[in-house]
Amino acid sequence: MIKIVKRDQPSRAIFFFTPVLAIFLTLVAGGLIFFILGFKPFEALKFFFIVPIADKYGFSELLLKATPLCLIAIGLSFCFKSNNWNIGAEGQLTFGAIVSGGVALLFYEQEGFYILPTVILAGAIGGMLYASIPAILKTYFNTNEILVSLMLVYVSKLILDYLVVGPWSNPEGFNFPETRQFSDSAKLPLLFEGLRIHAGIFLALAAVVISWFVFYKTYLGFQMKVSGFSLKTAKYAGYKGKKMIILVFLISGACAGLAGVGEITGPIGQLHREISPDYGFTAIIVAFLGRLHPVGIIFASLVVAITYLGAETAQIFMQIPKYTGQVFQGMILFFLLASDYLLFFKIKFIGLKK
Amino acid sequence: MNTNLKISNVTKIYPGCVANDNVSLEFNSGKIYALLGENGAGKSTLVKILSGVIIPDEGKIYLNENNLKLNSPLDAKKNDIGMVFQHFNLFETLSVFENLIIDSDEQRESVREKIDAIMKKYNFSIDLDIPVLNLSAGQKQKVEIIRCLIRSPKVLIMDEPTSVLTEQETSELFLSLKKFSEEGILIIYITHKLKEVMQLCDEVAVMRRGKLVSVSQIKNENIESLANKMVGQNLKNIKKKKAKISSDQLIKVTNLNFTSEDPFETNLVNINFSVNRGECFGIAGISGNGQSELFQVLSGEIISEKSSIEFNNNYIGDLSPQERREYLMAFSPEDRLEQAAIPQMKIFENVALNNFKSSNFFNNGLINENKIKEHSKKIISDFNVNTDNIELKSQFLSGGNLQKLIIGRELITSPDLLICFNPTWGLDVGAINYIHETLIKINEQNKSIILISTDTDELLKLSDKISVIHKGKLSKIMNADEVTSEKLGILMGGAN
Repeated sequence: MIKIVKRDQPSRAIFFFTPVLAIFLTLVAGGLIFFILGFKPFEALKFFFIVPIADKYGFSELLLKATPLCLIAIGLSFCFKSNNWNIGAEGQLTFGAIVSGGVALLFYEQEGFYILPTVILAGAIGGMLYASIPAILKTYFNTNEILVSLMLVYVSKLILDYLVVGPWSNPEGFNFPETRQFSDSAKLPLLFEGLRIHAGIFLALAAVVISWFVFYKTYLGFQMKVSGFSLKTAKYAGYKGKKMIILVFLISGACAGLAGVGEITGPIGQLHREISPDYGFTAIIVAFLGRLHPVGIIFASLVVAITYLGAETAQIFMQIPKYTGQVFQGMILFFLLASDYLLFFKIKFIGLKK
Repeated sequence: MNTNLKISNVTKIYPGCVANDNVSLEFNSGKIYALLGENGAGKSTLVKILSGVIIPDEGKIYLNENNLKLNSPLDAKKNDIGMVFQHFNLFETLSVFENLIIDSDEQRESVREKIDAIMKKYNFSIDLDIPVLNLSAGQKQKVEIIRCLIRSPKVLIMDEPTSVLTEQETSELFLSLKKFSEEGILIIYITHKLKEVMQLCDEVAVMRRGKLVSVSQIKNENIESLANKMVGQNLKNIKKKKAKISSDQLIKVTNLNFTSEDPFETNLVNINFSVNRGECFGIAGISGNGQSELFQVLSGEIISEKSSIEFNNNYIGDLSPQERREYLMAFSPEDRLEQAAIPQMKIFENVALNNFKSSNFFNNGLINENKIKEHSKKIISDFNVNTDNIELKSQFLSGGNLQKLIIGRELITSPDLLICFNPTWGLDVGAINYIHETLIKINEQNKSIILISTDTDELLKLSDKISVIHKGKLSKIMNADEVTSEKLGILMGGAN
């Protein structure tokens, strides 16, 4: 007989085990889906998860996709840990990309060492500005940040759309919805000849280290944590709770904005309609899969990045639509939430009673 | 007709705790029964079993020899068991009458007649057509009682009914309950207040840690014997020594006003008082009369005019809580779990909430974990917090231990003034005793206390001066030895 018993205290080992369990269950369920579709499950999973990263190029692509996911998820972890539900990172990414793209276009056909830092900074500021909207509305007008930040995603995408077909479109571009190519000085340098992985990965790694330090080691991080749990307590302790809320949104927006910079100043080198395959939304899954912990987020971003690549290989080799990738992302979150049940309950196998 | 209610071998086990351990009890109509016990003794579980909210693991309930199957609150209602919970289940914006007929399928007119008859019989006067939010707590409780009486119950269970009532309302309630009992309704009265048991009840059943420890006649008991049974040990009787109070003024509040934008908050009107060194100033009142706002103004969560609060010859009305701590003030808010501490954080992290400059908890913006942990260990041993693991999340501390931790945290600065708001709310007798002893000790060290409390007995025990807050105004300030709880009750009700 099986009996479910409530745990006295959430287990720390289980806390880190459930993400692994969720990934395993996703693989099983994914295999089952492939089987129902008429594929050999193991072969299909191999195409999905192993083939794409089996060579140097594939590995570089993996890091390329993981970089924005990691960066955004780190930013989001500040918000989520303090109970601010910013789900508009996709919008902050887009707006950061717009601002940094605009600055990059100002330097069209110019060279100089100062251009790239300026472009990067512009992206971070753009993301921060965009994230400050839900933050200020939440703190001063009691709006719900989930709705505001989500709806602003669509606003930013429409702004981008307008800019790339309208005022910013490439005059020699035959009406393609894209801007001019940025000058080389406005692009992030590639790390290896022939591979697309670029210096943006260092931004992500820096974000990991800084966020770990700020959140676990500083007074500022402590205040953010307290304000997130209870604004009443923050007020009582004498912290400026509202400022803390705005601050976590700004950090999160800056990270998303930087991810946007990485996308447009990396291999693409221009603004166009589709700058992000919903990295901003997928990063929410990454943040939770990584348990909102900086190191966890690194691993989670790598795992989730595979689903992007696997979807493409599967489309090419098995003629499965690439949206399978989103199915896998959904399953990961689903199984993660389900297996979190184990955090609070344990399953006991007991002998049959007479 | 006689009613006989029998609880037979009831057991209810929760993970990690036996809430009811083989409890058997018998009740007969015509008497008022007290079910007495500390928080967590298992009274609530037993009552919830009787009202169908919880289904017991083992055991049976018999009403007049019939085995009852109570699988839902509806079953309890059908079997004529009525229950008035501690927290009111009323719709504030609906009228009294609408609240009363909400679960009735009878004709409106006939219910109205019934209600009128009940009100006449028991001398209740409530306007049936005004919204419930305009009623006082005592009137709201009467509405809840009428709601039970409409169904002419055989059993009426009252769960800690006096926690929101004034002294006068309490005695009115007791009169009604005695009348119900004479009418043949079996009354079970749940409480942890010993005085009420002595006043009201005929028989008392004491529970401790899920077990029934004794059933006895009230006439064979006194307050001390019941307290000892309830706690399971002999309690020290705490008494404050009459100390000589210095005339050295520590805090002076002058013409303090606060006008809130929130319609659910109370405005403070022209508050004036002063507290000397070594003195305890008690502020009585029914909850919701401005105590919370006054606490926040004093703690700095709400900023007021600079000159309205003078502390140690400094004007501090416009300072933040953190800045006030530097002047050696300390604060213990009412809400332990939502405000004074964060249950999801570890004990030592909660200690760091009281951050003052000389603590060195945070140096150059960095967390100094060793320092915080060192302090936490000291608090745990100095204030008898029942754990040795400072990494434990504070949600796993009992209310009493958490309150000790909070008081301990506030006292590490050895503040000149401690402001506390309902410091023993919801605690068991042992913990209450400990907190009271601590507060008395503070006064003995020539430090001052402002004690805002809804517990009149506590105020009379600890205060040197007492005032009553009603609708945001303070009454005149009285010497504690000239005050009785009756007098306080009258002032709490708003009379002069």
